[in-house]
Amino acid sequence: MRLISKTLTTSITAAALLLSVGSASADKLDDVIDEGVLRCGVVLDFPPIGYRDSNNEPAGFDVDYCKDLAKALDVKFEILPLTWAERLPVIVTNRADVVFGATSDSLERAKTVGFTIPYAIYYAQAVVGAKSGIKTVEDMRNKKVAAAIGTVPEQEWLKLAKKWGVEGNYQGYQSENEVFLAVAQGKADAGITTNTTVLPITQQYDTVIAGPRMPWGTDYTSVVGKRTDVTWLNYLNLFITHQVRSGRYAELWGKYVGGEAPALVIPGVLY
Amino acid sequence: MDYNFHWRPVFKALPDLLQAALLTLEVAAISMILGVLIGLGLSLIRIHMKGPVMWLASIWVELARNTPALLQLFFFGFGLGAFGIHFSPYLIVLMGLTFNNAGYLAENFRGGFGAVPDTQIRAARSLGMTAFQTYTRIVIPQVLRIVYYPMTNQMVWAVLMSSLGMLVGFRELSGETQFFASRTFRIFEYFAVTAVIYYIIVKIILGASRLLAMRLFRY
Amino acid sequence: MQPTETFFSGFAPHDLWFLGEAALRTLWLSLLAISIGSMIGVVFGWLLSVSRIGGGFVLSPLLDIFRSVPLIIQLVLFYNFAPIIGLRLDAFDAGLIVLIVYTSANVAYVARGGIEAVSQPMRRAARSLGMTYWQDMRYVVWPIGLRAVFPAWVGVALGVMKDSALVSVLGYVELLKASQILITRTQETILILAIAGAFYFALSYPISLYAAHLEDRWNQ
Repeated sequence: MRLISKTLTTSITAAALLLSVGSASADKLDDVIDEGVLRCGVVLDFPPIGYRDSNNEPAGFDVDYCKDLAKALDVKFEILPLTWAERLPVIVTNRADVVFGATSDSLERAKTVGFTIPYAIYYAQAVVGAKSGIKTVEDMRNKKVAAAIGTVPEQEWLKLAKKWGVEGNYQGYQSENEVFLAVAQGKADAGITTNTTVLPITQQYDTVIAGPRMPWGTDYTSVVGKRTDVTWLNYLNLFITHQVRSGRYAELWGKYVGGEAPALVIPGVLY
Repeated sequence: MDYNFHWRPVFKALPDLLQAALLTLEVAAISMILGVLIGLGLSLIRIHMKGPVMWLASIWVELARNTPALLQLFFFGFGLGAFGIHFSPYLIVLMGLTFNNAGYLAENFRGGFGAVPDTQIRAARSLGMTAFQTYTRIVIPQVLRIVYYPMTNQMVWAVLMSSLGMLVGFRELSGETQFFASRTFRIFEYFAVTAVIYYIIVKIILGASRLLAMRLFRY
Repeated sequence: MQPTETFFSGFAPHDLWFLGEAALRTLWLSLLAISIGSMIGVVFGWLLSVSRIGGGFVLSPLLDIFRSVPLIIQLVLFYNFAPIIGLRLDAFDAGLIVLIVYTSANVAYVARGGIEAVSQPMRRAARSLGMTYWQDMRYVVWPIGLRAVFPAWVGVALGVMKDSALVSVLGYVELLKASQILITRTQETILILAIAGAFYFALSYPISLYAAHLEDRWNQ
């Protein structure tokens, strides 16, 4: 009897010790599993990747990715709607565990947050007003061009506009939806977005048609986590490969974007 | 605490922020001048006129005072845009602020006019002054004195309200701050510096207004 | 090949419900901020009126900051600062805290005005009748001061109600944010702006009319 109680005490002490050690060195992965909630930052004005359905509930490719990740971790999920400019700050200030937000993996941003391998690939394309007469990028030179604040298209366009000396014609909006509204209303002649968004937008607005592809490179976008949480980023990388291997990536791409899902490879690079 | 403050990029952007602060002051000041003129008109209409014109003036004043300023800005932006009427972000903010200032100032002026006794007006008219002269020489100087402090407050309010420009794409102080913050993702650092700039602007306005009052109201 | 989902839809009856829920959130947020902020503000106002050093030199400049920096900047700053010091606040909590502080700073000066509106001779008379300090505050200063500054307080309260729209920048789905969501989904810009505007107006206008009416009656 004494032996049993002694063994019990020892094992409880050992367990407590283990637990405390465990929590001291717990990484983000442990934190999320312990708390039972995955907090995903998602941009919801980016159809079909992130949007609100007719019941005003979050939906889209990124939202389903969040759900899939939560399922893999066996935790609940929380969707935190973000503007483009908030995608990195929510990670830095730990308001979200992960951001699914078509975030381009620029070296500048990588100074602030950690990136996974690419989970979706886009290129920048313009939507233009039906009466704007814009056919090529060159046509956009003296037109009013809109983009969302804090996006790669904004920065790339401003570089080009600076070269042309037409920065004054640029309009920055809080959200991509406002960009589309601006083009539809005629406040702007062109709005720069991603290829995946062009189809739903042109279907939605009679006054908006597909514009030229923008003259900058392919947009490799990554899932974002805290820079220092390397184990968490490793897990996210594995999650991305599993989404592809299980066919889920192709399925969701087909459901929301349509057509064949692009292969997640960077030509000529091994990573 | 798991956060490293980075102040260097903010100080590098400081000249641009100060430039944008001038734009803030400019739009606030112009909206104030227009607001005073329109506000005077609105209050006179509400005092002296009847019928549809008076109703329109009342609707202006009550809408300006009883709906959020941000909603008013949205109306001048995407709201008018729905009718195909487009203005630059600068004009959207200027019109929004003017609309709001005029509404609030009109109420202040109405109170001011009410405080000038009718006997003075009759006395002035009996001395042979025209109605216009009576207003510009007797009534309005007194009203301005009564509404001077509310007007100062409204100017401060206009500066603070212009920060909403960042939500309609206007690159005044807040918009410029947001623009920089969105590139370096250091939201806290940038907005902290901007808060200090606003504080200083407000103090300068209040100080200048006090000095001006000492000169204007010496008698 | 076309995608199998559709992404936009027109304005439907249940969207009115969505707006209504958001309006209730605006109402709840404002009610909490105004009531808690006013209580704290009255205490601050009393401190301002009684203590030259503590109130005038310490509290007053501190409260002044919240009246000299745009509310939207205060919201963005606090929302981004709280997690840095380890506070896990959602948009509602952060917005509410900022609105409470903002309200209390504005009410403090109104309350001080109210206390100072009661003349010194009257207060000395109350004390010489044998009233304690707190009895004097409760039965003389409170009723007279309240009448003097009630319209100003209503102004602050209605201002906070309208300014609660700014919490939308933190992503909290109150009335204005809900309107924005619906506008971008349905493009019924004017209709939705009008509904949202009508709600704020219907709340604010009668209260301001009533306050003006009270002021007139008390001034007679």
